[in-house]
Amino acid sequence: MSMEDYDFLFKIVLIGNAGVGKTCLVRRFTQGLFPPGQGATIGVDFMIKTVEINGEKVKLQIWDTAGQERFRSITQSYYRSANALILTYDITCEESFRCLPEWLREIEQYASNKVITVLVAPEVSFDITSITCISCRFVGNKIDLAERREVSQQRAEEFSEAQDMYYLETSAKESDNVEKLFLDLACRLISEARQNTLVNNVSSPLPGEGKSISYLTCCNFN
Amino acid sequence: VYSVCGCCGALRPRYKRLVDNIFPEDPEDGLVKTNMEKLTFYALSAPEKLDRIGAYLSERLIRDVGRHRYGYVCIAMEALDQLLMACHCQSINLFVESFLKMVAKLLESEKPNLQILGTNSFVKFANIEEDTPSYHRSYDFFVSRFSEMCHSSHDDLEIKTKIRMSGIKGLQGVVRKTVNDELQANIWDPQHMDKIVPSLLFNLQHVEEAESRSPSPLQAPEKEKESPAELAERCLRELLGRAAFGNIKNAIKPVLIHLDNHSLWEPKVFAIRCFKIIMYSIQPQHSHLVIQQLLGHLDANSRSAATVRAGIVEVLSEAAVIAATGSVGPTVLEMFNTLLRQLRLSIDYALTGSYDGAVSLGTKIIKEHEERMFQEAVIKTVGSFASTLPTYQRSEVILFIMSKVPRPSLHQAVDTGRTGENRNRLTQIMLLKSLLQVSTGFQCNNMMSALPSNFLDRLLSTALMEDAEIRLFVLEILISFIDRHGNRHKFSTISTLSDISVLKLKVDKCSRQDTVFMKKHSQQLYRHIYLSCKEETNVQKHYEALYGLLALISIELANEEVVVDLIRLVLAVQDVAQVNEENLPVYNRCALYALGAAYLNLISQLTTVPAFCQHIHEVIETRKKEAPYMLPEDVFVERPRLSQNLDGVVIELLFRQSKISEVLGGSGYNSDRLCLPYIPQLTDEDRLSKRRSIGETISLQVEVESRNSPEKEERVPAEEITYETLKKAIVDSVAVEEQERERRRQVVEKFQKAPFEEIAAHCGARASLLQSKLNQIFEITIRPPPSPSGTITAAYGQPQNHSIPVYEMKFPDLCVY
Repeated sequence: MSMEDYDFLFKIVLIGNAGVGKTCLVRRFTQGLFPPGQGATIGVDFMIKTVEINGEKVKLQIWDTAGQERFRSITQSYYRSANALILTYDITCEESFRCLPEWLREIEQYASNKVITVLVAPEVSFDITSITCISCRFVGNKIDLAERREVSQQRAEEFSEAQDMYYLETSAKESDNVEKLFLDLACRLISEARQNTLVNNVSSPLPGEGKSISYLTCCNFN
Repeated sequence: VYSVCGCCGALRPRYKRLVDNIFPEDPEDGLVKTNMEKLTFYALSAPEKLDRIGAYLSERLIRDVGRHRYGYVCIAMEALDQLLMACHCQSINLFVESFLKMVAKLLESEKPNLQILGTNSFVKFANIEEDTPSYHRSYDFFVSRFSEMCHSSHDDLEIKTKIRMSGIKGLQGVVRKTVNDELQANIWDPQHMDKIVPSLLFNLQHVEEAESRSPSPLQAPEKEKESPAELAERCLRELLGRAAFGNIKNAIKPVLIHLDNHSLWEPKVFAIRCFKIIMYSIQPQHSHLVIQQLLGHLDANSRSAATVRAGIVEVLSEAAVIAATGSVGPTVLEMFNTLLRQLRLSIDYALTGSYDGAVSLGTKIIKEHEERMFQEAVIKTVGSFASTLPTYQRSEVILFIMSKVPRPSLHQAVDTGRTGENRNRLTQIMLLKSLLQVSTGFQCNNMMSALPSNFLDRLLSTALMEDAEIRLFVLEILISFIDRHGNRHKFSTISTLSDISVLKLKVDKCSRQDTVFMKKHSQQLYRHIYLSCKEETNVQKHYEALYGLLALISIELANEEVVVDLIRLVLAVQDVAQVNEENLPVYNRCALYALGAAYLNLISQLTTVPAFCQHIHEVIETRKKEAPYMLPEDVFVERPRLSQNLDGVVIELLFRQSKISEVLGGSGYNSDRLCLPYIPQLTDEDRLSKRRSIGETISLQVEVESRNSPEKEERVPAEEITYETLKKAIVDSVAVEEQERERRRQVVEKFQKAPFEEIAAHCGARASLLQSKLNQIFEITIRPPPSPSGTITAAYGQPQNHSIPVYEMKFPDLCVY
């Protein structure tokens, strides 16, 4: 008897400086819209989206945190239970890139060590999500504002490589790479989960075991 | 209704049919009541089916949510609630899993209505008391989601408020549900507390801001509905009220961090409010933990801006006052220690202008006036906290603070140079200010315990007399200790009232302990007053304090002897003004004359000896006519009217020792003693300090004594203990013992053999011997106490050869038996 309406459930937390476009990224992904004039997030925001990958329903709980310093303590408490972190910076804002090491320190301190981190640069922004321990991803956002770019793709790639993260540039406005970001992440998380269940098959926290591991066919990593 | 199930209805299991039947064809119609009753009855009679009912209901609900059929969602939830309420505790466990799944599903939705619906159901569930433990439940998602809801930023204000309220209620529910469940103890883990507490505080603070911004009276009736802030406060209280010893830390830490992050220490209104809530709702036996955490936070912030530290300190003061009513036992001294340490740090910061001691170039980040504010806050806190302590703890605190006051004479090597001196001086001032705060309102029946000798020694040490400001503090502290009946303010101005009854003084008879205290310490006090009078840097405030001190001693601690001594003291002060060895300025001399006049006027009326009053009155009248500049009314005003020539003061303008001793002697006062001029007792410190001049006035004794302790600071000349002396002591004691035994034998023999008459006569003789000895002792005790150092009594010039020190006294043999 299955009451679940999903096969996998993953918690994804977005972090990064204030104003780099975290909320826009999530909105674009979950609601398919780009909210112009989005105000600053207060505390945390919550979105949910179920995607299907290889016929498996993957529910993504997305916690979009406030970038402002004053909410730091509450947002930190959300890292802990996250399966993946999307570390976001704005490619038009050098400052947001320079803060990344600081964010990584926070991740190390507060997140569980199994977390996947991606670096993302949205809009002309990157989205970086990095997968610490195993792999990382990193998103540069706002790539649609490429002419105002302050952070070169190469630098970001070098950085994400050094930190063992995935790197992806997205644009929430143009919807470039947004789907890809989350779907890739979901694939990655599924494979992680599978590996975990294979390693310690005593505990099988995830349903949907035993299906063929074919995620590589559905989505390719950069 | 049955048609919904179609033709296969009959083939479906009974529970499914029953569940299906509660849904009406048109969701607008609402729950089908009769069928719901059937379902409930079935569930109650067959509780083992509950899990399947739950599962099926939730399946339907999830499907309906997916299809946006919200009417049915509401109906499913209602049914679920009813089932939950109807079920008994034991069976509820079967059902809860699917219930929680449904609530989670609703909470996942973006629709505010569904979120609120889910929360309400959850709250209902939370209020059910379960008696069986639940193993496989996790509230992580609920805590996360409810906390998120508390931060809702929905565009519609009304919906936003609703969502936030729901969030708070949800958190409250989680707390209720988990807090008593031993298996769910992890609610106190930082990962949950770090979400729950800031969310509540955010609402507490946020709405307050909104309210203060728009205090529109039109909204008043709406406000009667509970606001998120009120709800959050209630929830916070409930949470803290349930916190056990081990959990307090995790609950308070997020509060401190939240206040840090949102920079709410300054202005501190909110911080104070938070901690008031905390202190009042926490279990009283744990309140000291909160204080400890605040102290820790203060230490952690010792390099933050002064305003932040001041905010923390003020919160601390508010919290400590509340905590003191409970138990703060172990933290009392720790608290004062931390506060005083912060005070010293702050003085350093203010002096060096940076936080690390090194002088930073260019950027002077530390604003001195902010540090000053911080220091004031610390002092205020010290005072307000001390005022809540019981007497014995206060004395401890007073001693503790006193022990921290630096004494340059002892640390000359450590802090030399201008900064060192400056630092010492500032530290002294700050600590004395704290002491003054602590001593204000300190009501101690026993002066002995209020002013123990080691405290008094330090307070009256000359190191604290040279600086005018410090000297004033010392006087004020003494006054506030001695004043136990609130008479202080009545002597705030110096005057020669012709009738002191207008002051309405409250006077109690001097108690026995106080007499003992004065016996022991009066000389020290007199000396301090005398020397303070002679200081050139005195201003009006000092004279007022001196007058207050004299007056209060006379009221609180005086017996006949003390009165006599005080009069002698004041006459000696008059001599200082007249003889003017110290080359005091005219103002100081006039002030001393005036001080004497005011005090003698007061004491004469207190003693109520008519002749004495008469004399004082006469002199004052004469001064009024001929030398008004010798009276307080002319001296202690904004523009003192002074005479340039004070040298030719005629005898009529002075209070005369001979006259006073004559009139007082007639009324039973010790006139012998009155005749003697007062000479201050000397301490070791005088000899060592720079105040050589005083020492020289009685050079003879100084020389005699200083030969014993040449140049050695406060060193008690210890007896040399060698092998020889020890051996001698042992041998001696053996010999003495033998003698004693022999004597005893003789006595016993005598009483055994001698005739009765002989024994009686013998005893009679001894009795008279005892009588005479006792007489002698009484005589001594009525006389002034023999000062510890024999030379001082000699300084009075009194023939006291017959007063044998108590320890030398031989007791009559009779007492030996």
